[in-house]
Amino acid sequence: MTSVAATARVPHAHHDDRSFIRKYIFSTDHKIIGIQFLFVSLFFLLLGGVLAMQMRWQLGFPGKPMPGGGLLPESMAAGGVILPEYYVQLVSMHGTFMVFFAIMPLLVGVYANFLIPLKIGTHDMAFPRINMASFWAALAAGLLMFASLFVPEGGIRSGWTNYAPLSARPDLSGVTIGELLWCVSIVILGLSSVMGSVNYITTIINHRAPGMTWFRMPLSVWALFITAILAVLALPVLQGAAILLLFDQTIGTHFFDPVAGGQALLWQHLFWFFGHPEVYILILPAMGMVSDIVANGSRKPIFGYHSMVFAIIAIAFLGWLVWGHHMFMSGMNPTLGSSFMVSTLVIAVPSAVKVFNWMGTMWRGNLRFHVPMLNATAFVAMFVIGGLSGIYMAATPVDMFIHDTYFIVAHLHYVLFGGSLFALFAAIPYWFPKMFGRMMSERWGKVHFWLTFVFYNLTFFPMHILGNAGHMRRIYDPTQYDFLKPYQPMNEFISISAFLLFATQLIFFVNFWYSLFKGKKAPQNPWEDNGLEWSLPSPAPHGNWERVPTVYRGPYEFSSPEVSDRDYLPQNEKRPTDREPASTTAPSH
Amino acid sequence: MTHATATVDLMRPPFPAEPGSGVYSNKLGMWVFLASDVMFFTALIGTYIILRFGVSQPWAHPNAVLNVPLTAFNTFLLICSSVSMVKAFAAISNGDQRGLKLWLLITILAGASFVGVQVVEYIKLVGHGFTPAGYREGSLLAEHAVSDPVKYGAATAGLYGSTFFTMTGFHGFHVTCGVISMTYLYLTKVLPGKYSRQDYRGIETIGLYWHFVDLVWIILFTIVYLI
Amino acid sequence: METTQHELPNYMLIWLYLFILTGAEVLFAFEMPISQLVKILCLMVLAIIKALLVALFFMHLKFERWRLRLVFMVPLPLAAILVLAVITEKLW
Repeated sequence: MTSVAATARVPHAHHDDRSFIRKYIFSTDHKIIGIQFLFVSLFFLLLGGVLAMQMRWQLGFPGKPMPGGGLLPESMAAGGVILPEYYVQLVSMHGTFMVFFAIMPLLVGVYANFLIPLKIGTHDMAFPRINMASFWAALAAGLLMFASLFVPEGGIRSGWTNYAPLSARPDLSGVTIGELLWCVSIVILGLSSVMGSVNYITTIINHRAPGMTWFRMPLSVWALFITAILAVLALPVLQGAAILLLFDQTIGTHFFDPVAGGQALLWQHLFWFFGHPEVYILILPAMGMVSDIVANGSRKPIFGYHSMVFAIIAIAFLGWLVWGHHMFMSGMNPTLGSSFMVSTLVIAVPSAVKVFNWMGTMWRGNLRFHVPMLNATAFVAMFVIGGLSGIYMAATPVDMFIHDTYFIVAHLHYVLFGGSLFALFAAIPYWFPKMFGRMMSERWGKVHFWLTFVFYNLTFFPMHILGNAGHMRRIYDPTQYDFLKPYQPMNEFISISAFLLFATQLIFFVNFWYSLFKGKKAPQNPWEDNGLEWSLPSPAPHGNWERVPTVYRGPYEFSSPEVSDRDYLPQNEKRPTDREPASTTAPSH
Repeated sequence: MTHATATVDLMRPPFPAEPGSGVYSNKLGMWVFLASDVMFFTALIGTYIILRFGVSQPWAHPNAVLNVPLTAFNTFLLICSSVSMVKAFAAISNGDQRGLKLWLLITILAGASFVGVQVVEYIKLVGHGFTPAGYREGSLLAEHAVSDPVKYGAATAGLYGSTFFTMTGFHGFHVTCGVISMTYLYLTKVLPGKYSRQDYRGIETIGLYWHFVDLVWIILFTIVYLI
Repeated sequence: METTQHELPNYMLIWLYLFILTGAEVLFAFEMPISQLVKILCLMVLAIIKALLVALFFMHLKFERWRLRLVFMVPLPLAAILVLAVITEKLW
C-alpha cells in the first residue's frame, strides 16, 4: 500500500505554488499565522501606549490643554483639555487593549503559533484551519474593540475589569454601544483563545518528533503548553461572564442587579476566577522564552530543568486558588479572604524557584550579552521587584491600605512591562531571523534596551511611593485632594519619564520595520542555539521539514563535554554514541 | 531510520511521533474543547446555583411556570438521540455504511426535534409572560404571581427568568450547532461513503460532542425543571 | 479503533437504565413526600449517575486510558471550587 500522510499535511518545502492570498493572507501555515498575530498585536501595543500617554498628560499636567488635544472631539477634550469622561475611558481602554490585544496575543498568539511546531519537530499544528480561524477571530475581536473608541459615547469607562453593576447600567456609566462592543469582542476573543489552545495542547501531546520526550522539550514549549491549558479552562468563564453582562445590558436580565436579587460581587468572582489564571497566561510564556534565551546567553544548561517544569505546573495549579486577592476590599467573607491570602503567599514559592534557577544558570556562565540576553536579564531583575511588591500586598492587612492605589499600578507594570514586555523585547529579536531571514540591528537594539530600562524604572518605580502615600488609581485630577498635592511634582516626573519611554519605543519600531526589509541576512543559527528550529534555514520554509527530525538530547546542551570545538550541541544532531529513540507510535498493518 | 512507508493507521496518532495521548488528534482535540465547554457551562450553571442559593425569598415551584412533562419527553428524546449516535458509531466501526446512514439520520432528526420542542416551549412561555427579565407586566403569569407569590416565586422571578433562558438558551445553541455539524457531515461525508472501518474519526468526534450536549442537558433538566 | 480492545457495551441496556432513571427523577421530584433537602440530594445523585453512564459508556471513557479521562476530569474540581467559594461568600 502506498504511504499516506496522516493528514493532508504533505510539506511543500521546495516548491510552493500557492497563490499570494493562500500563502500570506488566508494561510494555514503556523508561522504565517504567528507573524500575522505579530503585526496586529504590535499595532495594539502602540495604541495602548498612545492611550497611556494621554493619561499621563492629564496626571502630570492636570487641566492643561494637551498637545494634539485639538484633534479630539469637544465631548472628549474641551479646548484640548482632557475631560473626566474621556479620562476614565482612556484608563479602561488602555488596560483592555494592553492585556487582551497586545500582551496576550504577542506572547501566545505569536510565539505559541510560531515556535511550537518548530521546537517539537513537526510540520504544522494539529488543526491548521482552526488555527487560521483563531487568528481571524482575534482580529475581528480587536477591530470590534477598536471600533468602540469611535462610536457615540466611546469605549467603556468602568476600568478594564468592567465591574458590574456599573457596567450593566448604561444609564449610570454613560456608555451603551461601547459596552456592547466590549462584551461581544471579549466573547469572540475567548473563542479565538480556546481554538488556539486546543491546537497547542493537541499538537504538543500528539505531534512531538521521535525522541522529543516530555523532558527534552524546551521550557518555552512547556510554558506555552501549560499556558494553553490555563487559557482553555479560564477564557470560557470570562465568556460566560461577558454574556451575562451583555444580557443585563440588553435584554433585562438581573444577574448583577442587587435590587432584583442578583449579586454585584458575582461579576468580580467570575471575572477574577478567569482574571488570575489570565495573568499567569501573561507571564508563563515570557518565563519560558526567557529560560531559553538565558541558557543560550550563559552558554550553560538551564539550572534545575526539572524543577523549572514543576514550578510552571505549580504556578498554574495554584493560580486557580488565589483569585480572591483581587477582591480583599470588596466586602467579602473574611475567612474566605484569609484562605486567599495564604494561597497567594504560597504561589510565590515556585516563582522564586524559577528566579533562583535563572540566577543559577547565569552564575559562572560564559555570558554573551546580545540584545535578547540583555532584555532577558532585565526581565529577571524586574520580575523580582514585581514579585516582591506582590508578596507585600498578598497580606490582606497591607492590601487594605494599598488596594486601588498606584502601588498596585506599580506592581502590575513591573510584572507586565518589566516582565512580559521585556521578555518580548528579548524574544522578538531572538526569533526574528527564523521568522524573516534577517537580523534586527544589534546596535540599535542595545540603545533601545538601555534607554527603555532607564526610563521604564524612572516611570514606574516612583509609583510605589505614590501608592504608599495613598494616591488612588483611575482618578482624573490628583490635585483636588490636599494630601496628594505635595506629590504632584512626582506625578509630573513620572509623566515626563513616560513620554521619554514612549519616544524610545520608536527606536524599536524603526529597528523592526527597517530590519524587515534591509536587515542583515541571517545565517541558519545566528545565536548558536540547540533548538530544532535552528536546524532549518532562515526563514523557515513552508512545512518546516521534508522529513521529521529525530531528537537525541535535551535543549540545553551548552558547553557540553561531548564536543570540544563548539559550546552548543543541537537536539537533532546525532553523535556516534547516540541511539535511536525506542518509542514511536508503531503503525498497524 | 524509521520513516512512513508503511500504511498509516488513521485511527492512531500521527506516525512517526513520540507516543502522546494514544488517541488520534481529532479526538484529543475534541476532548480538550469539551473540557473548555465544561468551564463555560460552569459560569452559567454556577451563576444559577450561586444566585438561587443566595436569595432569601422562595424560588418558583418547578411545575408552576414550566411544562415538566413536555420537557421530560424532550429529555427522553435527547437521550434516544445519544443512543442512536452511539449506534451509528458502532455501525461504522464495523464498516456498516447503511447502519451509519440510518442511525445518524435518526440522531439528526431527534436533535432537530429537541430544538423544535424547545422553541415551541419558549414561545409558549413568553406568551404566558415568562421573559428573561421576569414576569411581564399584565401577563397571565404576573397575575398568578400576585395571587400565589410563593408558588410562583414572585420575588425572585427576575432571577428565575434570567437564569432559565440563559442556561437553556445556550444549551439549545450548542444542540443546534451539533445538528448543523452532523447534517454537514452527513451530506458531505456520510452519504458519499467517505467513512470506513479504517477511518471513522469524524463520526467518533462529533459523537463525543453530541454525548456531551446530552450530558449537560441531563444536569440542566434536573436542576432547572425538577428542583 | 480504540487502543484497548474491548467488547462494545450493550448500548440498549444503558438506554434502558437512563430511561428508568429519568422516570425515577420525575417521580422523586413530584410524588415523594420528602423534605426539600433530601429531594435535592436524591435528584443530584440520580443526575450524576445518568451523566456518568453517558460519559463512561456512550463517550467510551470507561475504556480509554486514564490520561484521556484526566482531560475531562480537570475542569470539574475547578468548577466546584468556584461555586463553593462564592456560596460561602453569601453565607457570611
